[in-house]
Amino acid sequence: MSDAGRSPRGADRSGWVRGWRPAVSMAARNLRRNRTRTVLAVLGVCIGVLAVAALGIFGNVLALGADDAIGDIGTQVVVSPNADAGVQSLSEADVTAIRRAVDDPSVGDPAVVPLYSDNAVVAGQSAQTFATVYGVSEPGLAFEAAEGELPERHRQGAIVGAGVAEELAVEPGDTVEIAGSQVRVVAVLAESQTFSPVAPDDAVFLPESAFAADGYAQALVVSESGATAQAAADAIREDVNAREERVDLFELAAVVDEINGFFDLLSTFLLGLGGISLVVAGVSILNVMLMSTVERRQEIGVMRAVGVTRRDVLRVLLAEAGLIGAAGAAAGTLLTVVLVAGLVASTPAVDASLVLDPTNGYYLLLALAFGVGVGIVSGAYPAWKAANERPVEALRS
Amino acid sequence: MYSLELRDVVKRYSSGGEPVVALDHVDFAVSPGEFVAVVGPSGSGKSTLLNVLGLLDDPTDGQRLLNGTDVTNLSVAERTTARKESIGFVFQDFHLLPTLSAVENVALPTAFDPGDARDRAASLLDRFGLGDRLDHGPSELSGGQKQRVAIARSLINDPAVLLADEPTGNLDTETGSAILAEFERVKSEGVAVVAVTHDPLVEEYADRVVELTDGVVVGGVPAEADADVGGPGDDGVDDARRIRRSTASGDR
Repeated sequence: MSDAGRSPRGADRSGWVRGWRPAVSMAARNLRRNRTRTVLAVLGVCIGVLAVAALGIFGNVLALGADDAIGDIGTQVVVSPNADAGVQSLSEADVTAIRRAVDDPSVGDPAVVPLYSDNAVVAGQSAQTFATVYGVSEPGLAFEAAEGELPERHRQGAIVGAGVAEELAVEPGDTVEIAGSQVRVVAVLAESQTFSPVAPDDAVFLPESAFAADGYAQALVVSESGATAQAAADAIREDVNAREERVDLFELAAVVDEINGFFDLLSTFLLGLGGISLVVAGVSILNVMLMSTVERRQEIGVMRAVGVTRRDVLRVLLAEAGLIGAAGAAAGTLLTVVLVAGLVASTPAVDASLVLDPTNGYYLLLALAFGVGVGIVSGAYPAWKAANERPVEALRS
Repeated sequence: MYSLELRDVVKRYSSGGEPVVALDHVDFAVSPGEFVAVVGPSGSGKSTLLNVLGLLDDPTDGQRLLNGTDVTNLSVAERTTARKESIGFVFQDFHLLPTLSAVENVALPTAFDPGDARDRAASLLDRFGLGDRLDHGPSELSGGQKQRVAIARSLINDPAVLLADEPTGNLDTETGSAILAEFERVKSEGVAVVAVTHDPLVEEYADRVVELTDGVVVGGVPAEADADVGGPGDDGVDDARRIRRSTASGDR
């Protein structure tokens, strides 16, 4: 025999695989015998998988959308002087202390951007508005330009927030009048995703040299993520406020955590809803397999009588349930893709990039795996029952 | 040596209240190349006898030997293997799987084993005159053809014994005779054939008729002379079969 040279383990494994081929082939033919029943069972799994995948993706898109909308809320810490302690502004020493406090890889090395602040009337060609005017030397660390370019070192000209630019209808190259002096606009900022006491949309940023103040009004600490922002805030509290409460901190990372927690809960809840329909699908497979094994009791008895082992009978029946599960899961996954694509195409409000996010693929895979799994789990009991029936009993009828 | 032997076998069922004795101290034996018909009224224990002989059911008491080896108390898996390798079944209702073609039905006992038995199954069908029906489903075959497929299936593993339960029960006389003629050919190849039957026609073809009444057997064991007839030559066949079996018993 050709098996003789092989290790028993290897021979066993190849035998294991080999046994599935005739099992799957026989299973497929058995399923074709009662097409209506098979199609209905497949449909059940298909709907279950559709529910899990679609609700999973729905929850995920909601979470992603919310994440997108609240965006950088949690990544900025705004440090202000603590007026209650008599501190009116942040000195160079304070800024240095803040820089030193966050200069640590474990808090993500955030950028520290000190700001002068004042209010002034800003006028364009046709309109004027009252805006906050900030003095900043490194605007690129904290902001992004929509038009024009942010200079690495801000030495001249004005950077205009999105809101102000729209109100005054100005763009880079135009001139605005700030507190009586003409300044060229070098850049317009992108609309802010950030909710913070520093509202860049309604502000104009000038070089530090435009200010004669002797201290900074605020310092922005810009982190990569909510977690590092919280760590930075903690580090500043510990170091800068060690002896005296010199600064106030404004941070929303904790709030963002809560919001994310809520969306996690929502996703789980939606998946649970989908899961219920998948369980129902599982029960329908259980029913179909039980009916089918009862009907084929004699056939199974004959197989056992002529020497087909219990394991191989089990294989055939498990393959039937698995095929129902796999077919339903594949159809359900495909249907979900079509449904989601249709929804995105017909609903302009849904941001396509959120739907195409790779994390949604996990939900598809999850639903696919669950569909196949439900098939096999629900098929297990009827298969086991049929395989273990004594052939004498099964043949007697 | 007998192909299959029962020594003082008792089979009791405890259905409901009092136990029913289906086989009452039965001695039974069949030699290689012998055709034995078991007759008896309904409820006399014929089916039980066939189940016990066919390793589908275990005796309550007594001893069972297959090719001289004690197979009284085997595990479920061992019994399945022994059935596959040494015993062929032919049923009254043919019991072919409707989803499989003729040739696949013949190869069913080996369907999950290594190697492709299709060629062997095809040549068996050819031998039974069904060479042009290989890929037909059971629904496309006549009763006689189905029973021939069933006989071919029972022979796929070169069994020592072929057990038939009313093999002509669902066939007209002419077809029944043809099937019995096939049994004669099978037994001439050294296979022991045991047929449980009501059909007087079967008795005509049988070498020996065993009567079973209320679980008691008359004439279960061949006379000495009969046993010697099938002697040394057939033992040679048996040895070859045993060797094949010991090499073939692989993973399970």
